[in-house]
Amino acid sequence: MAWIRRRWTAEEADRWTREDYVTFIISPLVYMLLMVGTALSLLLRWPGFLLLGIGIVCLLLMIWVIDPKLKAISEDYEIKQRHYLEDLEKIVRWEK
Amino acid sequence: MVQFAFLDWFWVVTFIVLMTVCGVLFYKLGKRSMADFFLAGRGLPWWLPATSVYATHTATDTPIWVSGVVYQHGLRGLWYTFFSAWCAISAFASTRIFRRSLAYTQAEWQTLRFSGLGAELLRGWIAGWQVFMNMFVLGWVGMAMGKLCSYLFGWPQWLGLVLFSTICAIYVLAAGYWGVVMSDFQQGVIAFLVILIVSFWGIGVAGGPQGIVSKLSEMSQSWRLNPFAFSGLTGGDFPLAWFLTMLIIAVIGGFGMGTAIDWYPEAQRIQSAKTVRDASYSIWSGTALIVVRNSIWAVAILGFFVLYPNIKETALYEMAWYRIGFEYLPVGMVGLFFAAIVAIHLSTISAHLNLGASYATRDLYHHYFKPKATERELVWVGRVSTLILLIGSFIYGSMMKEITQWLIFALWIMAAGIWLPSILQVVWWRFNSWGYLSSWIANLGLSWLVVWVLPEFRILPALPDYLQFWMMMVLGALIYLPITFLTKPEDMDRLVKYYVMSRPLGWWKPVRVEAERRGLLALEVRSRKGGS
Repeated sequence: MAWIRRRWTAEEADRWTREDYVTFIISPLVYMLLMVGTALSLLLRWPGFLLLGIGIVCLLLMIWVIDPKLKAISEDYEIKQRHYLEDLEKIVRWEK
Repeated sequence: MVQFAFLDWFWVVTFIVLMTVCGVLFYKLGKRSMADFFLAGRGLPWWLPATSVYATHTATDTPIWVSGVVYQHGLRGLWYTFFSAWCAISAFASTRIFRRSLAYTQAEWQTLRFSGLGAELLRGWIAGWQVFMNMFVLGWVGMAMGKLCSYLFGWPQWLGLVLFSTICAIYVLAAGYWGVVMSDFQQGVIAFLVILIVSFWGIGVAGGPQGIVSKLSEMSQSWRLNPFAFSGLTGGDFPLAWFLTMLIIAVIGGFGMGTAIDWYPEAQRIQSAKTVRDASYSIWSGTALIVVRNSIWAVAILGFFVLYPNIKETALYEMAWYRIGFEYLPVGMVGLFFAAIVAIHLSTISAHLNLGASYATRDLYHHYFKPKATERELVWVGRVSTLILLIGSFIYGSMMKEITQWLIFALWIMAAGIWLPSILQVVWWRFNSWGYLSSWIANLGLSWLVVWVLPEFRILPALPDYLQFWMMMVLGALIYLPITFLTKPEDMDRLVKYYVMSRPLGWWKPVRVEAERRGLLALEVRSRKGGS
């Protein structure tokens, strides 16, 4: 079994899993690497290019990890959304 | 004063016409329903709200602020701008939860998550506070434009405030959020390109990247190139303790809703996205652009420091990036630069006009005054609210000097004391409306005590801001946690409904078990693959 799962049913994707937690760690790191890496790269400092490169690799890794799950959630949710919206309008109009 | 040639005025007029027409073109879509007027029908692909996130958070005063911290601190000053990183986790946690709730606004979400009187009080409070805050932001940003026009053309300050906000209101009144988001796309692209042009121009003027580095070295200022140049663990002007507190506030805050003041405009962009996936990517990538933009600015401002290293007055060095553009760009390009500033300005004004109106319409008028209102009527109420916000912003703008200090304090309250409760309301089923409401009230008193009153009477020493944050967090918890446990949990029916709809993360086991018992969720499959 792969450590990172890339095939999801909608019901499975609804749960919070290892893939989400991995993304929570990588995502802020990517922001840091992009910020520091861009600034130092514009000053032609070699650590800047290194950090920027690592940042871009981490970004691609993050998308690879989380995208299949987000797709599964979204596809299923599209179907339910209309009913939820009808329900929501009733709550706002004090009908429920 | 800056002299504009014909070509400069050509750029300015062309861009203003283009931006306004682009917004007005969506009039027919905006008037279809309240969902269209405030959320563009919840059907946008990720890149549209993403550019809106970027454009909205690139305001007239943003380069002033970034110039100030980078001129003072060098590249480590970038961390002052890193508070926007709450979107790193939020994009995949609270954004996902909020998008699934389908609430129009954060105020509405309170009545989906909580129930009864407490929920209604929270909704009313947050809606009223947001109408006020958006009016304030409009006045603040509008006045920044007024000051800039006064510096550039010698106009009275009120003229820049009134003129550009009114132009912007034309397309917001006509097309609502459709106008906002479509213009934001155009404005975001223009602003980003011009930020690149002006910043690279400034770097070139300062001697290029190597010139900046060698001149800083000659001035014994090489520490400015180090983003991690801490002044010690707790002492000095850039202590490690501040840095770690900032990282925690920014990054962990992403699990909550309302932990940052920017959550509220982002919430509108989240709900306008077509799917959960589009919402996540829009928030993440819009903020990534902001983070990169700050770095580009920072290097140009280092270049400005090399050219003018001895400016002591904050108000003067805060104009660093603007001075690069207006003093060094050639004739014809200055107009392009000003057109981009107008784009930056209009994107922020339009977003806050529509956002404030959404709270006034959806949460106050529709929910409390006329629940049976038709869609047509609600769109008109949205327009009237937009107009009221516009006029209110002129009044705020004109009295900004008197209220600024108080409002900065109010924003600090917002960030410090309700940070943890704003996370708890998302991740912990037992946290109830009374707990959250009491955290707001307690925080109001505590922040006055900790920041002003107790230091004034020498009961407490004047603490650095990162210690104030921790102290207010602990003192606040001593109030809202007992209140949470002394009052009843939220109604289980409401919690189950919310859970099934939103699937929150964190400590929700009793609610999940109840939802499974009612057959609303498939039973947890223990042997499922890959899950935790």
